[in-house]
Amino acid sequence: MMRLHYAPGSAHSAAVRIVLAEKGVEPELHKLDIVHFEQHSPEYLAVNCHGTVPLLEDDGRKLFESFAILEYLDETYPDPPLIGDDPRKSYIARKWGKYVETHIAPHLAIVRWAALGGRVAAIAQAGLDRLLPERAALWRRALEGFGSDQLEASARAMLAAGDRLAADLAGTVWLAGDRMTLGDIAVYPHAAQFGALGLPLPKRVDAWLARMAERPSVQAIREDLFPVAVMGPEPGRWG
Amino acid sequence: MLEVHTWEPNANSGKPLFCLHEKGVPFIYHYVDMGAHEHHGPGFLAINPDGTVPAIVHDGLTMTESTPAMEYIDEAFPGPPLRPRDPFRRWQMRVLMRFMDNVVAPSLAMIASNRFAAPRFAGEDPGELRRKLERIPLPERRATWEQLMFQSTPREEIAESERRVSDAIGRFDSILSNQKWLAGDSFSLADICVFATFYGLPHSREEDVNDEASPHLMRWLRACHARPGLQAALRMGNGFVAERAAEVRRRIGVSETVAA
Repeated sequence: MMRLHYAPGSAHSAAVRIVLAEKGVEPELHKLDIVHFEQHSPEYLAVNCHGTVPLLEDDGRKLFESFAILEYLDETYPDPPLIGDDPRKSYIARKWGKYVETHIAPHLAIVRWAALGGRVAAIAQAGLDRLLPERAALWRRALEGFGSDQLEASARAMLAAGDRLAADLAGTVWLAGDRMTLGDIAVYPHAAQFGALGLPLPKRVDAWLARMAERPSVQAIREDLFPVAVMGPEPGRWG
Repeated sequence: MLEVHTWEPNANSGKPLFCLHEKGVPFIYHYVDMGAHEHHGPGFLAINPDGTVPAIVHDGLTMTESTPAMEYIDEAFPGPPLRPRDPFRRWQMRVLMRFMDNVVAPSLAMIASNRFAAPRFAGEDPGELRRKLERIPLPERRATWEQLMFQSTPREEIAESERRVSDAIGRFDSILSNQKWLAGDSFSLADICVFATFYGLPHSREEDVNDEASPHLMRWLRACHARPGLQAALRMGNGFVAERAAEVRRRIGVSETVAA
């Protein structure tokens, strides 16, 4: 039996749930409250020492890293295929999966933290001491407040992401061509937050967001797509 | 035919070269001289506007992300499969590559380029260095080069990178104490991804990569260095990596395979 640990407000969780719905797979769900930092509770850290969601348990194995989970689900439940039906589409889907992790998610988290006035309630601060060093350091930076250089760099990264999405959507319906892939699904829950945070997107990208929003798999989780002031992956430290 | 525009068989730049040699796929290699900043010049920017190596061109598709490009090569061409069949093993392979790409390789790059590249900029005209910086398209790459050119990488960042690399060496050694290759019983893209950056460590990080401190990692490094495909890839380039790799093979007792 599969068990998914996820949280409303977590874009990475939303991507996994969209893939599950596209495949018609219904795992047991464990919902965490990241607004109140349940992901840093000793109980959850005992399950996942990274203190992140989503986490998929399958047959006693624990899988983290959301794009790698999406690929695992696609290979375990091949119908309908979502990585793309030729190597070119697969490459584009994986390129976007990577771009979400290295650019979109880390910088969106920083912009979001500033836009929403992120804070950690005193009672939740003890949780930060339980994290692995890299995660704890990132949260401490957030608590100190990101400097204007970092905020500008992160805002520019969001504009660049919008331009890159528009470039790949030129003349196509989905990022990798005529069929939706894991690339669209990985990006969508992040890009869907841009509007609420006042981040502009090119028209073509807005039209793609609207197409994604119509899918029943997205409709089913639309209440969970709101932004929460939590950290994402660590921004790149060296080029 | 597939074309690779890249620098030496080293780190990201080398990943497609290792992968293509392991698959036995013929390709055309265009050498990009990073020392001469060719990757920030108009010729290369016309191929990859981001100014990063490698750039791999096949059937009109230009690929600039080296790890997804390795999966493309494995899918698009015949030859020995470089990904495990089992979805869980594949998940392990991909998570390990992500850890390597996002955490370990940038840390090693920070350490190595501060040691070897940064001193070369000392004494150069700051105005000329600024002009070189302005030609770098990606803001994150520009920030990195600026730290190198003006030798301003914070000490605590370098210390943090040292911590991460030591941690990764321990982690890989532990994985390899249980299995032959990094993603299980068969050689995979995860091995290429790590080897592309780790091939020289018995030389450059002798203090924690040796038979006493990390015996399983050393066993794996010898097994990788002995592979004809990886050796052939290491012989490409202008000789700089080839010589270093040959020196490492001598030190760890791996013989030369017949040149491919």
